[in-house]
Amino acid sequence: MSDRSRASDSAISTWFLRLYVLVVFAFVFAPIIASFVFSFNSDRFPTIPLGSFTTKWYETIFADTDVWDAFARSLTVAAITAVISTTIGFCTAYTDFRYRFRGKGFYLGLALLPPTVPLVIMGLAMLALLSRINMSGQVYSIVISHVVLCSPFAMAICRLRLSQMDPSLEAAAWNLGASQWQAMKTVIIPFCKPAIIAALCLTAAVSFDEFAVAWFVSGLNKTIPVMILEILQGNVDPQINAIGSFVFAISISLVVVAQILVMTRDDKGRKS
Amino acid sequence: MTHKTKSNRREFLKKTGALSALVAAPYIATGRKAHAAPVELNMLAWYGHAEPDIVEEFEAKNNVKFKPKYYAGGDNMLALISQSPPGTYDVILSDGEFVQQLNAAGYIEEMDAADYNFDDYFPEFQKFPGHWDGDKLFSVMIRFGYLGVSFNTDLVSHKEAMNYDVLWDKKLTGKVGHFDWHLPNLGCLSLRDGNNKPSPFDIGDDQWKKLQESTMSLKPQVAGYFDYGGTFSSLKNGDVQAMCGIGDWITGVLLKDGAKVDSVVPEQGGLQWTESLSIGKGTKHRELVKSFIQYMTSPAGQVRSAQMAAYPGMLPMKSGWKALNEAAPAEAKRQRMVLSGPNCLDDIREGRIHYRDIPKQQSLEDWNDFWSEYKNA
Amino acid sequence: MSFALPGLLWQLLFFVFPMMFLIALSFWLVKNYRMVPGFESVNWVKMYTRGYFWDAYFYTLMLAAISTVVTSILAFPCAYALAFKASPTVRRWAMFLLIIPFFTSYLVRAYSWQIFLGNEGIFNGLFSVFGFGPYKMLHTMFGTMVGYLTLCLPLVVVLQLLSLANVDKNLVEAAWNLGCGRVRTIFQVIVPLAKVGLVVAATFCFILSFGDFVSPYYLGGSKPPTLSILIIDTTKSGQQWPRAAVVAITMIVTLMIVAFSAVTYAYARRTRQ
Repeated sequence: MSDRSRASDSAISTWFLRLYVLVVFAFVFAPIIASFVFSFNSDRFPTIPLGSFTTKWYETIFADTDVWDAFARSLTVAAITAVISTTIGFCTAYTDFRYRFRGKGFYLGLALLPPTVPLVIMGLAMLALLSRINMSGQVYSIVISHVVLCSPFAMAICRLRLSQMDPSLEAAAWNLGASQWQAMKTVIIPFCKPAIIAALCLTAAVSFDEFAVAWFVSGLNKTIPVMILEILQGNVDPQINAIGSFVFAISISLVVVAQILVMTRDDKGRKS
Repeated sequence: MTHKTKSNRREFLKKTGALSALVAAPYIATGRKAHAAPVELNMLAWYGHAEPDIVEEFEAKNNVKFKPKYYAGGDNMLALISQSPPGTYDVILSDGEFVQQLNAAGYIEEMDAADYNFDDYFPEFQKFPGHWDGDKLFSVMIRFGYLGVSFNTDLVSHKEAMNYDVLWDKKLTGKVGHFDWHLPNLGCLSLRDGNNKPSPFDIGDDQWKKLQESTMSLKPQVAGYFDYGGTFSSLKNGDVQAMCGIGDWITGVLLKDGAKVDSVVPEQGGLQWTESLSIGKGTKHRELVKSFIQYMTSPAGQVRSAQMAAYPGMLPMKSGWKALNEAAPAEAKRQRMVLSGPNCLDDIREGRIHYRDIPKQQSLEDWNDFWSEYKNA
Repeated sequence: MSFALPGLLWQLLFFVFPMMFLIALSFWLVKNYRMVPGFESVNWVKMYTRGYFWDAYFYTLMLAAISTVVTSILAFPCAYALAFKASPTVRRWAMFLLIIPFFTSYLVRAYSWQIFLGNEGIFNGLFSVFGFGPYKMLHTMFGTMVGYLTLCLPLVVVLQLLSLANVDKNLVEAAWNLGCGRVRTIFQVIVPLAKVGLVVAATFCFILSFGDFVSPYYLGGSKPPTLSILIIDTTKSGQQWPRAAVVAITMIVTLMIVAFSAVTYAYARRTRQ
């Protein structure tokens, strides 16, 4: 089927599309690659032509235990945030998909509003709350704020997937005697699996990269983006590039490992 | 079916578990220190003040580890403290003009003047405004610097830069940058208007109106408005060739990196920035903070302070000058902290330097409003 | 209905209060650099009567709208190619590669673009080889747009891809078999089928661009300032967080209107066909 469609496609447009995809990826990765190159540059400020090759920026950050701490903290926060906000996002999306009730508008507003709040002011407002209930300046303070910010993304992705589902599918499962939980487990969640995985990845990514709110609520528990923000605002040296590249290298290896795990699992699943 | 997914999930969990252990390994390793755990001191400061080049010696000697929280701007700092539990920050570095506000809000502790060697300060810094409330001491000054005109030496000569009018020069059209904070910019431009008595910040309504007009007339020259990062990179890469309201704390750093830039205090005068250390209210490490401030006002601390990697500054103490001239004569000379002959204090003594301040006759919001209008024009 | 609870509880606990605080804050006063609780309309009056506030407001709206249109258009062929021309493996890798940039701080990426866009940067270096330029790109609206694209493009491609990948291939096939041209198939079959996802992607793009301060600041030179920059400026005038709150609330309300119209439009029942 897809063979036929491909055959009817002219070769030129296929090549054009391939080239286009490459250009988009080049655009996305250009700043990352440049950052990597300049992380080995001896000059403090990036200009062309390059200065000499140096590893001193990496030596600086590797000697700095704060960077390691911040990295571990960022990963922890991102992972926990991803799980909680995807759970919340999925539940909210399902509620919207399945039920009609009084106050639904308000409920959805509450669920989707957070990304519209400017982050700088959101940071101060979150700090105002958390410090009053004695929960500020902790790692979990960042998680709390990030879940607020991220669950709308998860909700949007899950809702998108649910809207592609035939609502009668679930009803059919009920008619066959499945409880709501069983129907959820055997019909809805498997159907939403790609969306759930995407939501997990995306919320982790958003949390991992957030600095404005984290600066306020984290107290002295810095995450990587907060650290970068502070260097960028008050110092500016290739430590920024070194941290960025280092974090990039680790995250891409994690992704590759995760990919391989998922693939082997899929293969096994297919075989058994 | 359920059985199969379960075993797969277990397998998956095992793998991810191993993975996270791998990731966490360096974290755990750094967490377990061989020595007794150092005391952690929380510092709220501009970037750089708790970096190794400043604090490594003090940390090693006293088994202390600084945990810095770096802010960008005094208003950010005040907002952060006001919403944090008391005692969060043990030591606070702030701009001189914010000390009074920190004190009025009760965020810093009174200090004992006898703990610090005030005789060693140059006379003009002994009773620094805002740092004392009557005889009570609340903050100790550690560094200062001047703000005037900074420029690319390829395009602008020193002689030209000695007058703020150079910013309007045709060759600088689209090349003038602003550090994005209204006070230093408007202060310097107010000096250009001739408002130097008593201070560029103490001006009547007519002068304020004139200042707004002359600032607006600079707009066609402007390349952009930048924070620290943007200021550094735009001066370095040539997008900006001249700025006012900044000084050696920017160009001194760029110079080290080989950029052809310099800063001067023009004929009309310049501003002074000041950085001071205070003890955070409610700290549990009062004594330790005290000895840190003593260290930063000792010759050893002052030498480090003058050459801080993030940005350099001038020293307010005689012993600091002496030590710097021994340790790094070239840097002492560059910053004009020389022991004989004309030096950087002459600018103050000739009355050409004014403290960076807040507007006296208008409200701060008026100035800020105008700055926003200017940016939007 | 128990599914409604987690989201409701979390947002009630941790989001409603900050919002209420924000609204209350906009009525507070600032005295001697300290925020004093009160109930005064002065902040609202002051901000809403300032010309620069409205200038910034419309400029930000315009920037975000342009960013949304440009990003959506640039992202679509890429998402289309990945959805219809790529194997599932390639698609999965592409998806991961698109999420990867988030793990390199947006700040770092924006900072990196300065090296490309500067007067003596990489692009102008390349242009000069061919005898063009130099073009001023950094600290212009073009610079801001590059930044917005950096922020939004991966997200928009991912969201578009998610919805395009679920378009029923049989329908597309049917359109082809009925002699519908490729371009017509895209606009009359695929786009309507993927409408929800495309609109959601565009909405997120609008929201992110509207609120972002990194790109207009670091790549646009804050010239002229956007609302998010105005917030930062306002807080620099002696703890004027109450006035910043006025700007913030205006932004929230604007985005709410945009988001709700978009969502209503996206999920509106298709009446035709």
